[in-house]
Amino acid sequence: MRLGKMAWRNLLRHKRRTSITSFSVAFGVLLTVTFTGSGDYSYTNMIDTSVTMGLGHLTIEPPGYNDSPTLAKTIGDADDIRKRVLDIPGITDAQVRIMGQAMFASGAKSVGGMFLGVHPGNETEEHNIFLRSITKGKMFAETGGREIVIGEKMAERLGLRLGKKLVYTVTDKNGEMVSQVSRVSGLFRTGEDMVDSTIVLLPIDRLRKTLHYAEQDASMVAVFIEDQRRADGRRLEIIQTIGTGQHEVLTWNETQAELAGLIAVDRASNYLLQFLIGLLIAAGIFNTLLMSVMERTREFGIMMAMGMAPSQVVKLVIIESFWIGVMGLVLGIVITAPWYIFMSKTGINLESLIGDDYSVGGVLFDPVLKIRLFKESVIAILTGVFGLTLLSGLYPAFRAGRIPPCESIKQD
Amino acid sequence: MATILRMTIIGVFFLFLVIGQDVYGGSSSTTMRARQILEEVDDLWRSQSSHSILSMRVKTRHYTRTVTMENWTKGKEKSLVRILSPRKEKDTATLKSGNNVYTYLPKTDRTIRLTSSMMMGSWMGSHFTNDDLVKESRLSEDYDPEIVFEGERDGRSIIEFGLIPKPDAPVVWGKIVFTITAQDHLPIVSQYFDEDMVLARTFTFSDIKEMGGRKVPALMHVVPTDKPEEFTEMVYQSIQFDLEIADSFFSLHQLRRR
Amino acid sequence: MNLVSFAFRNVARQRHRAWITISAMAFAGFIMIFYASLMEGIIDATERNAISMELGQFQIHVPGYRTDPDLYTLIYQDIALLQTIEGAGFIGTPRLYAFGLAAAGKASAGVRLRGVDLERESLVTEAYGHIMTGKWLDERDPFGVVIGRKLAKTLNVGVGDEVVVVSQAADGSMANDLYAVRGILKSIGEGIDANGFFLNASSFRDLMALEAGVHEIVVRWQGRETPLEQLTQNLGDLVPDLEVKNWRQLRPVVARIVDTSRYSLIIMLMITYTAIGILALNAMLMSVYERIREFGIMKALGIAPWRVFSLILLETVMQVSIASLLALAGGVPLSYYCESHPIDLSKLASASLTFAGIAIDPVWYSRVTFESVFTPVAVLFGMALFAVLYPAGKAAVIRPVQAIYHR
Repeated sequence: MRLGKMAWRNLLRHKRRTSITSFSVAFGVLLTVTFTGSGDYSYTNMIDTSVTMGLGHLTIEPPGYNDSPTLAKTIGDADDIRKRVLDIPGITDAQVRIMGQAMFASGAKSVGGMFLGVHPGNETEEHNIFLRSITKGKMFAETGGREIVIGEKMAERLGLRLGKKLVYTVTDKNGEMVSQVSRVSGLFRTGEDMVDSTIVLLPIDRLRKTLHYAEQDASMVAVFIEDQRRADGRRLEIIQTIGTGQHEVLTWNETQAELAGLIAVDRASNYLLQFLIGLLIAAGIFNTLLMSVMERTREFGIMMAMGMAPSQVVKLVIIESFWIGVMGLVLGIVITAPWYIFMSKTGINLESLIGDDYSVGGVLFDPVLKIRLFKESVIAILTGVFGLTLLSGLYPAFRAGRIPPCESIKQD
Repeated sequence: MATILRMTIIGVFFLFLVIGQDVYGGSSSTTMRARQILEEVDDLWRSQSSHSILSMRVKTRHYTRTVTMENWTKGKEKSLVRILSPRKEKDTATLKSGNNVYTYLPKTDRTIRLTSSMMMGSWMGSHFTNDDLVKESRLSEDYDPEIVFEGERDGRSIIEFGLIPKPDAPVVWGKIVFTITAQDHLPIVSQYFDEDMVLARTFTFSDIKEMGGRKVPALMHVVPTDKPEEFTEMVYQSIQFDLEIADSFFSLHQLRRR
Repeated sequence: MNLVSFAFRNVARQRHRAWITISAMAFAGFIMIFYASLMEGIIDATERNAISMELGQFQIHVPGYRTDPDLYTLIYQDIALLQTIEGAGFIGTPRLYAFGLAAAGKASAGVRLRGVDLERESLVTEAYGHIMTGKWLDERDPFGVVIGRKLAKTLNVGVGDEVVVVSQAADGSMANDLYAVRGILKSIGEGIDANGFFLNASSFRDLMALEAGVHEIVVRWQGRETPLEQLTQNLGDLVPDLEVKNWRQLRPVVARIVDTSRYSLIIMLMITYTAIGILALNAMLMSVYERIREFGIMKALGIAPWRVFSLILLETVMQVSIASLLALAGGVPLSYYCESHPIDLSKLASASLTFAGIAIDPVWYSRVTFESVFTPVAVLFGMALFAVLYPAGKAAVIRPVQAIYHR
């Protein structure tokens, strides 16, 4: 207790030094919040956008479908699975979908593309990027109808307008070529040309008839969950609910491996940068703590001459850095809070920096630099910065303990 | 792909073979009559099988080419065509059996199956697409016929049919207008319109000859409307009807035989 | 007494204290030089990956080719044209394109055939170095082809496997030939991954019966850094009847992503600069305030305020100079080392990556530039001097008695 009091007295006596050091710590908090926060935000954003392009956070699909997706592979009880999965808490949505490749032709031309057979009544804008990107017309309403929704670029290439006829040709379940006529009810634009020129939404029941599928046949049930980080846990729950006979359950990590890889690389680079910044901050804290020890050489010398054990001196300095850490964290929270609120609500719109030379708009790409923190990240940052402060205090404390009493008094 | 040849040989109406049996057909009196005539036409041209030698001349802005080929057909669903000249493409062969179309490539000694991604590609450099060939045998199921004109035109007595696609038919066209002579029911012209009723291409039939014991137009001329200087022409050199051809003739094995 | 030697003696006398300050600043500068070089490398790589894989800096076409890529829309003066642009400091490579069908076993897929001039292509783009398995095209192997990653998966082929290609040749005949997969590309972009089929230009001409002309000329500027618009203008003037577009015009979305990532990296860099600025500030504030008693004593000895002030500044400059030299000595070699020995993160990703059409190399090269080296040093100097201005001023005017009791 005596040491604790002493440490406090020391800190209060050198108000300027104390505040400079704790400000360094606080600034470290601010930096890490910004870096980690931009990662937490953009990864979640990327994942949540990517999963709305068809596959979901989790995909219940026929075995082997992920490696070689063909229309011959189906799960036979998709609608039942959907109903059962929807009862699991934490699962926000599940959609029965059929995915495949087709040739789309108008009187003028034909292009190859991908279709997504969907149930218009069940699909929501939140979990279907194409639905929320419809720019002209509207989503079809019937599951067995002939209306379809295509991308603006595809419409352009085929010379199509709303209400016009489009014929698609697919290879059905038995490997036979079949054609079906349809009419364009809506156009979407995501801003990504590749997507806008190849993806087509079809009503699922009509597609089932065309492909000679049974009533409940589908390529997959795409499952959406509240929090993308809980995918593995939810997978277990889904397997417990529906078993693993005719299907397998994969997470976005597996179905969208490229995105997962991208995030892994970006996260690693973010960690590396944070590590470098951590070193900078640590150097700052180390500098001030060591200075304060050097400057008090005489003081420590006298203390030890008066019978204080070196270990107690070490302890004293550690306690001082402990309190500096605490104060730094508090100060850090105080200065970070407004920044965090600003960055999580408004963010920095990079578009305004670049200038609007080309208004390419689109939903796939987010030009706003924003931050968002997960609870785990908050804890990681606070412990990380605090740990760093204590670590930086170790050497100065060690130095203080080794001061020889007599010489130090004479020194200076 | 050989179906396109049959289409040209026996006239487009051959394709209306099944119209009379179409259960979805309309019941208005003109529709009934249209079906009846087309059925007659069809009866006239109906054949179990055929074997022909023909040449195809194609002129585009970029090339002019002539291909000679030999063609066998049986019923509605089977046909085989083999190229005789030019030398570079000799023995290239195409087999249509039901819904499947295969092409044998002698240069690489490989047979490939036509997939949906090739559908809109040109057939042999002509103004037909592969899609035309596949869809051809479905014409009767996909369109409702109607007589739109009957009487004198350009000094000839003709019957003009309007073929409107059924609402659920997988075709890109908006209408086909098809004209035959009133007397012999020989084809004269067939015009394809797109959905906005803009003319896309015109088939003209001429040079009526007695071949294989029947009167047939030996020349068919196709012009795409947007490129009026281009055309594809089919000329029949010989044709025989109702021969004995075994089903096994239309097989992958036969396709590769040189 | 000479002020400089006085300052020097001061620094030398308080070795411990000075060294702590110097080493903290040197360490910060060192980290910062490395960090900034790494950032330059990343910014550079994003733009380079976007351009150099396939797109190129500029593309020349016959007007209208881009909207309707017809086999017959050809640039015929290609050889003369390549010489003309070379004379003006550009380098170009011709390309040929056609659509076709590739089949292997029972699988088939639509492909975009890409005939490339082997000699020139590698001078302009870097796809040749982006091979996942196998090798790039070779002059001596006319039937060896390189295909996209997803295409290989669709066709279920590996290196050495046969692929049949069917298309319609320029003379209307059926183009078909048998090729062997020589290499499979890493991810370059959605289009090439799914339908990219590269073959030698001469093989392309044989297959497609196309004797002369090219569809596209991809151009790179070889000279000093010049504004893109200016170069586009210059190149356009060289080939008056053809359409010249730069990569920003060709792929506005890619340009936007490159710009955005550049700006977000710059913002991150600025935040980090702030961090070392604050470090330098702290270090100098501490070192001056700790010694304020000493300055008071100097004042008591009758040393003029301006001399105290300049003394402190001089000491600061000396310390920062030593720190900067140390930072340069550590940071520059490390950064140069990482130019040739990148930080390899590729193990983290199972496959090669693309984001919105830009290939992402999970391998980090640094890039040493004037800015990446001297901005950290300048920030160190600036912040340190800024930091001591106030305390030095205060020390200069302080009354001795006050200084001695100063805390």
